[in-house]
Amino acid sequence: MEEPRIGVYVCWCGTNIAKMVDVEQVAAEVSKLPNVAISKSYKYMCSDPGQELIIKDIRGHKLNRIVVAACSPRIHELTFRKAVEKAGINPYLFEMANIREQDSWVHTDRTEATTKALDLVVAAIRRVRFHEPLQKRSVNVDPATLIIGGGISGMTAALEIANAGKKVYLVEKTDRLGGQVVKFDLTFPHLSSAHQLIKPIIQRTGNHPNIEVFLNTEIREVTGYIGNFKSTVESQTQGTLELTFGNIIAAVGLKPFDPSKIEEYGYGRFPDVITSLEFEGMLANGQLLTKYGKEPRNIAIIHCVGSRNKKYHEYCSRTCCMAALKYVHEIRACLPDANIFEIYADMRAYGKGHEEFYALTTHRQIIFLMYDQQGQLPVIRQANRNDNCNMVIEMDEKLSGESVEVPVDMVILMVNMEAHDNVKEVVRAIGVSLCGNQFFIEKHPKLDPVATTTGGVFIVGTCQGPKDIPDSVAQARAAAARILASIAQGSVAVEVTTASVNELLCCGCQTCVKVCPYSAISYNESKHSSEVNEVLCKGCGTCGSACPAGAITSKHFTDNQILAEIEGIMSLSYKGA
Amino acid sequence: MSYRPTIVAFLCNWCAYTGADLAGTSRLHYAPNIRIIRVMCSGRIEPTFIFKAFQQGADGVLICGCHPGDCHYHEGNYKCLRRFKLIEKYIAQMGIEKERLQLEWISASEGKQFAELVNSMTGTLLTLGPAKISRSMEIQQLNQ
Repeated sequence: MEEPRIGVYVCWCGTNIAKMVDVEQVAAEVSKLPNVAISKSYKYMCSDPGQELIIKDIRGHKLNRIVVAACSPRIHELTFRKAVEKAGINPYLFEMANIREQDSWVHTDRTEATTKALDLVVAAIRRVRFHEPLQKRSVNVDPATLIIGGGISGMTAALEIANAGKKVYLVEKTDRLGGQVVKFDLTFPHLSSAHQLIKPIIQRTGNHPNIEVFLNTEIREVTGYIGNFKSTVESQTQGTLELTFGNIIAAVGLKPFDPSKIEEYGYGRFPDVITSLEFEGMLANGQLLTKYGKEPRNIAIIHCVGSRNKKYHEYCSRTCCMAALKYVHEIRACLPDANIFEIYADMRAYGKGHEEFYALTTHRQIIFLMYDQQGQLPVIRQANRNDNCNMVIEMDEKLSGESVEVPVDMVILMVNMEAHDNVKEVVRAIGVSLCGNQFFIEKHPKLDPVATTTGGVFIVGTCQGPKDIPDSVAQARAAAARILASIAQGSVAVEVTTASVNELLCCGCQTCVKVCPYSAISYNESKHSSEVNEVLCKGCGTCGSACPAGAITSKHFTDNQILAEIEGIMSLSYKGA
Repeated sequence: MSYRPTIVAFLCNWCAYTGADLAGTSRLHYAPNIRIIRVMCSGRIEPTFIFKAFQQGADGVLICGCHPGDCHYHEGNYKCLRRFKLIEKYIAQMGIEKERLQLEWISASEGKQFAELVNSMTGTLLTLGPAKISRSMEIQQLNQ
């Protein structure tokens, strides 16, 4: 091995790192370490000039190892790997030290944070000395795509891919396509028909020669890797089926919140307290009547049901405010004289045309009443015999500071969107993580919002977070574009940080065969040694730590690399103690 | 200089490390004495790593993986748990208090829990005082 010549780059990240870590001191201190040929700090390492700096130094100073101390490797490791590769050295001869997310952003003492940064950089320097070049591998991409969920997002993505001439398997767990949109009457803010919007999409999806739709079908298991997945699906009509495909789109959506959990609203006790989706059904049927068959004279619409409340869900469902305003127009069209009360917590009109829609709606003779979402919720009670209404809502009106009683014949609860009960089974099958709100986690919240950390698996629509139709459709088309690009290329790069067995050291105990979760290791009887199928191996390293003979190397996470990192990581704090 | 416990933490890439990153993006503050090492899976963590950390002077070693059932590699965290149970016994025989080695499950969304965990472990280690094992390892090496 040639003598390591390491270049170290400490990022300021504007003030994000530099305000808490003395980046110049870190760069100066580590320049004294053995094998460090050059050490610099720079404002934004990830910027083009920042990357250029590394590339120029690699060429000019004959560097063969690079360390960048900046943000989390989960954000920019790939960026820098590409940069070093551009300069002609193997991308794995690079290491990152996380001095932002795990240092400058979480500590308040500049001296402590600087010491920690130094430790982390020293550890990365020690580690990178043991890095070995790894050769990229690519695999062919199966041109078929599996889409889970037949709502507007799933169907849009399916049509986009199918129209490009590629095969799509669309798996829907219910007995029909259309998802939630099929349940809506009109859409906001244009008040156009949801039916006219979704029906042609359902028809085109159902009739498309390149789309195979499986209704009443659920995913059981997914094996394989980007470009080459295999799945068992269970169809109620066709039994168990095996599908093979190269990419996956999860478009499983969300479901409406069950408001019977909120005691105050009496959903289930009062027949005329209904959810927004039940109201949509009424509108679609053209019959706006109470359960007693009468036209309601007083209608209240309660916002944020199950949303923005620590007891239920902390997040905002984003679409309910506008849907609630939409109802004003729909009610006015059927019942011009009804009294309409919008009982809201905050009016959120963030989208294109939403604020204008709000302004327009305020002119439709309605009464806005504000309640405190963090305080006492409005309470619905049965009206007294001589009250001229069906129910009464008691609430503390926030703007006036008064306690008010609102007479109502019908109450519409704007229910939150929440994850399906079986969401964990789906995410486990496709290898995606969930955030605390049970939404699928994207690869990067800003720069890679439809990809996930599992290659070849994409997420679109509301399963990634509550959103309206335009946003769902945009994501669906984005994911389809990503997949079509990989199909067009024909092959994709796969993870090379797999395990490998040293035949001379292998004792043949086959512990590794037992612990591998991917059946990627088999025992070769004639060689008396285990063998790793690099295509199946995902590089978790479990076999490496289980091997009693030390015969297995977890590439890029070798014993030497990690032990060197441990040695470096306390070199300063320990000495100082 | 007053005693400031050092923690070496081994975090899996998919859940725990992401959770620790989330603590950062959420600007939650925790004790600065922790040094995090990333592994792809908690199943990769070898006993040697833990002993090495103690030998290097760590007062505590923290292992964090995905919650049971959530492992990115299906079951690496269970392998880690089994190994942890063994190491727990072993370090006791070495004279290391069992509180110095902790295994906790941290999901990608549990930034707050991670910050609290670091603070509570730091508190435990402050009460325990410095680990003596690295010094005795040094002496043993000298005797050899």
